[in-house]
Amino acid sequence: MQSAYIGKLMELAQQDRNVIHILADSGTGYDEMFRRNFPGQIYNFGISEENMVAAAAGMAAAGKTPFVYTAGAFLAYRSLEFIRDDICFQNLNVKIVGMGSGLAWSSLGPTHHTTEDVAVLRAIPNLTILSPATPRQTAAAAAAAYSIPGPVYIRIGMNHEKEFYPEGFVMTAGKNDILKNDGDVTVFVTGSILEEVHDAVQRLSREGLEVNLVNVTSIKPFDRENLLEMAARSRILFSVEEHSVYGGLGSILAEILAQEGSGSKLYRIGLGDCFAAGYGTLKSVRAENGLDAEVIYRTIREITGDE
Amino acid sequence: MTDEVKLKELRKKIFLTGYKGGMAHLASCYSCLEILYVLYGKGVLKLDAADPGWAGRDRFVLSKGHAGLALYAVMTEAGLMTEEDFASYLKPGGAIGGEPCMRDSARVEATTGSLGHGLPFGEGMAMALKADGNSARVFVLLGDGECEEGTVWEAAMTSAAFGLDNLVAILDCNEIQKMDSVKNTIGEPKWQEKWTSFGWSVEEIDGHDIDAIRDCLSKENEKGKPRLVIAHTVKGKGVSIMENNPNWHFKLPRGKKEMKVFLEELGVREEEME
Repeated sequence: MQSAYIGKLMELAQQDRNVIHILADSGTGYDEMFRRNFPGQIYNFGISEENMVAAAAGMAAAGKTPFVYTAGAFLAYRSLEFIRDDICFQNLNVKIVGMGSGLAWSSLGPTHHTTEDVAVLRAIPNLTILSPATPRQTAAAAAAAYSIPGPVYIRIGMNHEKEFYPEGFVMTAGKNDILKNDGDVTVFVTGSILEEVHDAVQRLSREGLEVNLVNVTSIKPFDRENLLEMAARSRILFSVEEHSVYGGLGSILAEILAQEGSGSKLYRIGLGDCFAAGYGTLKSVRAENGLDAEVIYRTIREITGDE
Repeated sequence: MTDEVKLKELRKKIFLTGYKGGMAHLASCYSCLEILYVLYGKGVLKLDAADPGWAGRDRFVLSKGHAGLALYAVMTEAGLMTEEDFASYLKPGGAIGGEPCMRDSARVEATTGSLGHGLPFGEGMAMALKADGNSARVFVLLGDGECEEGTVWEAAMTSAAFGLDNLVAILDCNEIQKMDSVKNTIGEPKWQEKWTSFGWSVEEIDGHDIDAIRDCLSKENEKGKPRLVIAHTVKGKGVSIMENNPNWHFKLPRGKKEMKVFLEELGVREEEME
């Protein structure tokens, strides 16, 4: 996801010298490649995320299009007030890119997990929130963010996510992406965990249970029409997110369904009222927290069997 | 009109508008009034009244946003805000509120209110201007109590590292914060040593001396360095019972005795209070 992001950012920087890549000691070899190509369009603020976020707002006020890039947790939580007051209140053209969404920093524990960012950020006016699931979607999200005049938050994974999209995929804010659409059960998923859900859905299909799969790449604005359409022809809906079920994708679905009086049953899969347990590979930490393909498969099987 | 008379008029105007609005940080407004007056009224900020959005204009950020009423008063004086908008302060449907806001006036360069935002925001502006080869400067007014916020020091470090010689921070050093003196809160602040050690050029001036403020702010920075101007000020300057008294941080006069002092010392007539 990182190389896809930096690759797209270099394209944008080539086209537009006002595109600025901003880091808080958060770079890797990919960022050095950016520096070699665009030495006047990259700044490293060191370990001072709030300073970086406020300065990016100042740059935008003076005509630049800054993309700030560091761990999502250090943006959504540590820099929250700076995102809110300096960027969003002024509707300034800053792109906030949080890497390591969900449990991606699996070996470092909850200080690095980004499992409440959607809940925290989606209440902030003027902010578009994109949640790509794959490398090509990440590149598309960066391009979409550039074309939106105003603040955008992009949450991206960092664990060599499986690709499900063709080259040249284009992301549209406010549009869900339907990956499978032949059943009477629908799963909505967002972010890197798509790969686990995809596995679970494939397995269910092999067993004769066809499950529609909707990838939510735009958290805000949200594709209400698609949700209501899927709800109308599904006997049950599921949401799966590598995020707290409080305030995230599941909550968004519940809010819309309740307000529309759809009466659809919704089962939310995600983290409960807890910090994620365990350390190790992403796979093992997902499994330990009930968020791997196996548990998702069993949950859908069990819940739909109850119907 | 002499500067002295003008400044007294401005203090009166700020008081009347704040009092009628029902809320104002008068003491903070009065400690930095001369600084704002010199920036906007004495040609320190390069602005073009005919083209207020001119890309080459100098930028000013009031990081201690609670002195917003003083900023709005000098902006009105400089023709950057209408008298009507200024008078609408805190009124229903009014144009301006208690903290400077870009939403409310296109001529406000940064929305502030939460402390510790203005210096990093101004730093980003200075970086962008420098990258574009734009010779405009960025001025940021900080409170001394505000310097208890960590982001002030994050930005102090990186502004020096980025060599922002187009950035001038002015410290409104009135030595008092909301509850107490700065010294009683964080110990001897030693601003000169702190900022110098962070790589800034540091100068000290009397923050109520018009000529000293103008001479100091008009100068260019030392090449490659951001500059801090420590302006020694009196919180509540101009009203004896407010001066150097923390109780007046967020308070309007109450009762006949206090009101009498305000009216006398600011030259306000009874009928102007209506």
